[in-house]
Amino acid sequence: MSEQTVSLYAKRPGKDYGYCNARARGMRSRLFTRAFLDDLMEAQDVKRVIQMLQDTEYSVDIDAEIIHGKTFRSIDEALKRNMVRTFQKVIGFSNDQAGLLLTTLLGRWDLFNLKTIIRGKHMELSPDEIAVSLMPLASFKEVDLNVLTREPDVRAVIDTLATWGVEYAAPLRDAVVEYIKTQDLSFLELSLDRYYAVSAANRLRGRGQNYQVARRVLGAQTDSTNLLTVFRLLKADMHDIDPSRFFLSGGLDIDEAQFSALAAMSDVDEVLDRLKSTPYGKPLEEVVLTYIEEGSISVFERALEEFVTRRAFAAGRGDPLGVGILIGYLWAKQNEVTNLRIIVKGISVGMPVERMRKELIVV
Amino acid sequence: MIDKKKTAKLVFGAAFLATLMGAATAFAAETTATAAVDWRVSAAKAMAAGLAMSVSALAAGYAQAKIGSAGAGTLAERPEVSIWVITLQALPEVIVLLGFVSAIMING
Repeated sequence: MSEQTVSLYAKRPGKDYGYCNARARGMRSRLFTRAFLDDLMEAQDVKRVIQMLQDTEYSVDIDAEIIHGKTFRSIDEALKRNMVRTFQKVIGFSNDQAGLLLTTLLGRWDLFNLKTIIRGKHMELSPDEIAVSLMPLASFKEVDLNVLTREPDVRAVIDTLATWGVEYAAPLRDAVVEYIKTQDLSFLELSLDRYYAVSAANRLRGRGQNYQVARRVLGAQTDSTNLLTVFRLLKADMHDIDPSRFFLSGGLDIDEAQFSALAAMSDVDEVLDRLKSTPYGKPLEEVVLTYIEEGSISVFERALEEFVTRRAFAAGRGDPLGVGILIGYLWAKQNEVTNLRIIVKGISVGMPVERMRKELIVV
Repeated sequence: MIDKKKTAKLVFGAAFLATLMGAATAFAAETTATAAVDWRVSAAKAMAAGLAMSVSALAAGYAQAKIGSAGAGTLAERPEVSIWVITLQALPEVIVLLGFVSAIMING
């Protein structure tokens, strides 16, 4: 399906960023300010949050969802729908080049959806339980994902993807034998990650400033995935396994040799010391105390996600007639929805405002 | 980003046209002084005036196309700024007016 999406954009002529960037800027002007988020965090309950959001551009989705009840679940679903609608709208009005670059970068959401479905099938969850976590932001439509969630098992999901001619079917088919033998999901997930890293890097191989901006964001994404793998390997104490099999190519600052060296280190301090000369050193060092307190890798995962988000925001501050404006907007929107979900969840469980403020990603 | 090759071509083209128009005007002035009615003077004047008008009209059209597409995008998301968009859309008309005045001055 991704190939179909890409070819669809290739048929649309033009590289005029004036129209689409003006629309993206107009949409960006409606993103929430810090002051609004502060007001939202002060809300007494979920009903007050619904009232406040009904005066914003989320009103359409909120109104559609609250017929199921004014609950956290309804708002969460409304926020998700709004994000999906916004992403589809941006891709819809983009020119051919921007469409190609954006769908390539958003391919990570295809991976996210496929991994979620595969994990769900592996754990024998119901289709509804899996569907709750899906985000049809890239080439898969909601209806496609719903069909996949209704397949009986992992093998059937892969076969359906192959029938549809989806590009991700090939790497999954390569790894499925090993998965069936070992029942280890990492074979499928790693195969998908590797395929995406290579295919996305190939698609972004074009010349010009816009391709360069997209490559920078993709490179940061790949680096952060590799660094996260390093932290996971350290935490799991898997020194007997060859780390290079987990390496994803296409990163900006972490090459295979550095990845292997990092994975061979004995603790997090050594890794951070080695990363000092890279752009990832500072953001990771800033959260090392929290990591020591909490002992969870998710601290680093969040710091790296923030780094990628900031990198995407930075892309939006470059050429006013380039793809960076669109990339910056999409990441800003995603950031806003993530923050809103944190706030709504926080209010529904009675989390203190200070804690919520701490939990927000980049504001 | 600004394409260096395109910029160089534009600058070169503008310089060439300016030279051509300057030469035509000077030539016209000189020949008028001699009071000799020469068909070549009229032709040069007409050509220079035509160039001044057409190039400025093309430039204004190019600018308006760019502003128009961005303006349409802005109006789709923020209709409340329509006055600004119309104002910006009209601004490049000044270029044509200047070309028109230049053409009259050349012929005058």
